[in-house]
Amino acid sequence: MDNFAQLMAGFATALQPEYLLYAFFGVVIGTAVGVLPGIGPAMTVALLLPITYTLNPTAALIVFAGIYYGGMYGGSTTSILLNTPGESASIVTALEGNKMAKMGRGAAALATAAIGSFVAASVATVGLTLVAPILARWAVTLGPPDYFALMIVAFTTVGALMGKSVSRGMLSLGLGLFLGLVGTEVLTGQQRFTGGVPVLADGIDVVLIAVGLFAVGESLYVASRLKSGPVSLIPVTKGWRNWMSKEDWALSWRPWLRGTAIGFPIGTIPAGGADVATFLSYAAEKRLAKKGRKNVFGKGAIEGVAGPEAANNAAAAGVLVPLLTLGLPTTATAAIILSAFQSYGIQPGPLLFQNQSALVWALIASLYIGNIMLLVLNLPLVGIWVKVLQVPRPYLYAGILLFAALGAFSMNSTISMC
Amino acid sequence: MTSPQSGSSGVSTPGEPRSVSEELSGRRIPIGEYLFAALAAGIGIYVLIAANYIRIPISSNTLGPRSFPYLVGALLLCAGIAVFIGVRRGRLGEAEEGEDVDSSVATDWVTVAKLVAFFTAHAFLIEFIGWPIAAALLFAGAAWSLGAQRLRWAIPIALALAFTIYFLFGRLLGLSLPAGPLLDWMPFF
Repeated sequence: MDNFAQLMAGFATALQPEYLLYAFFGVVIGTAVGVLPGIGPAMTVALLLPITYTLNPTAALIVFAGIYYGGMYGGSTTSILLNTPGESASIVTALEGNKMAKMGRGAAALATAAIGSFVAASVATVGLTLVAPILARWAVTLGPPDYFALMIVAFTTVGALMGKSVSRGMLSLGLGLFLGLVGTEVLTGQQRFTGGVPVLADGIDVVLIAVGLFAVGESLYVASRLKSGPVSLIPVTKGWRNWMSKEDWALSWRPWLRGTAIGFPIGTIPAGGADVATFLSYAAEKRLAKKGRKNVFGKGAIEGVAGPEAANNAAAAGVLVPLLTLGLPTTATAAIILSAFQSYGIQPGPLLFQNQSALVWALIASLYIGNIMLLVLNLPLVGIWVKVLQVPRPYLYAGILLFAALGAFSMNSTISMC
Repeated sequence: MTSPQSGSSGVSTPGEPRSVSEELSGRRIPIGEYLFAALAAGIGIYVLIAANYIRIPISSNTLGPRSFPYLVGALLLCAGIAVFIGVRRGRLGEAEEGEDVDSSVATDWVTVAKLVAFFTAHAFLIEFIGWPIAAALLFAGAAWSLGAQRLRWAIPIALALAFTIYFLFGRLLGLSLPAGPLLDWMPFF
């Protein structure tokens, strides 16, 4: 069967009402989470990991893919309306988007972000469909030494380039590798680095680390310096149909495509990540702007929202290429989706497209479907997402802590204290 | 470009220099940063020492089971020392930005301690009072610690949320959440 036929088979699976429902669930949760402050897609997937153990792998992965894509859409809303980007990939959106919102053009900014995200994610998913199988075919020929080398390259570049301090990045990398060393060695059965503590003999589950870092740690950090006072929001005008004028469309479509062209390749290389792509796209738009538009940058230029938002989503799709074909996670969310695969006994990597082709193609098909759902959800429903932003913070973080405890507890329903 | 809406709220522009926090951290010694670097280096030394006790099977090749732990230990030790020196030279860690984070205020340890207490209590209480009530306690306690207004709403919300999760995930999805002795006698638990 060639790839196209397999993709069609994937659509046949993903279009079943049950899976459509799961995809819908995923994108709604993902968008809500992207809009809510304090919770990123990585944290949500980590929190939901233990809960989805009861689902079949296809359903669980469709939910996670929905959350992943949905989170990318939702992130722009807070940047534009609150001037507070939730993750590094939407910092650039806040630059121009919030200026637009202050001038009363928030609706246009939100619309160009949503439509640009849709265009970029669709094009990038096509890219994923075309590139991934080819890369997988090449990767099958690699042996264990090649893989080891590849992982060293990927992890050192991610460690060194994420964040601003190389030494701190290396330190985090070392801590992560150390946590991975703890446990019982498979071949000889001897315990390593457990300190004789029996609960550590099985190793430290990545879900625990993820919940501890992203949910509990983040909540405690926010709690230690919680902003007091109400959240200041810029209201959005009603009537989404006339949000974008003809001029806005004319100014937006090129940045969407350029953002996609910048975002996708950067997403596929390790250490690319979405944030680098957004900064590059912003710089490109600023440079390419016509004389009259150039001085609008910094004062609410719609191109500065359209380009980076497209780059952001294209990079998100690009990240899935090394994840699915090489088993290499290059972002935090990808790392947790990888552990979701592993919890079902599926190892992403070159053989994934051969051994689990039905699952992979259903997942890719659900990305196309999720994208359309997200566009439909996001344009008319921005008003509702804005309401979500106003959840009182104490209750929001209390809820995050509760879900974190649930996730950690339901992993094996015992309380392990050393 | 300051509008009256954002002027008074304390929402800051990303990228704007955070002069207040820089001044604050510049004056006192960043003990936490030193401790963190030292702890990482300490773990590195532990890994290097403990790796010596890994038995090498007779069948092993040139690269035995000790090599990778040695690598990790060395990485941790070197990175820890590098961060330590960096802090000495004034390169401090940057606080993470977030929607709800006010990086200009000092850390509120009382709130953190309260949250840790409620979280630990929750973990220990599940066995005795069952998951739903322990969860409601965690939620209400955390909301109170974080300064929720209209506290009399916190308890009903907490109970509703805990029981909704219990029935949704425990009953429908089949997670094993113990009802506990307080609720076990009721027929629908």
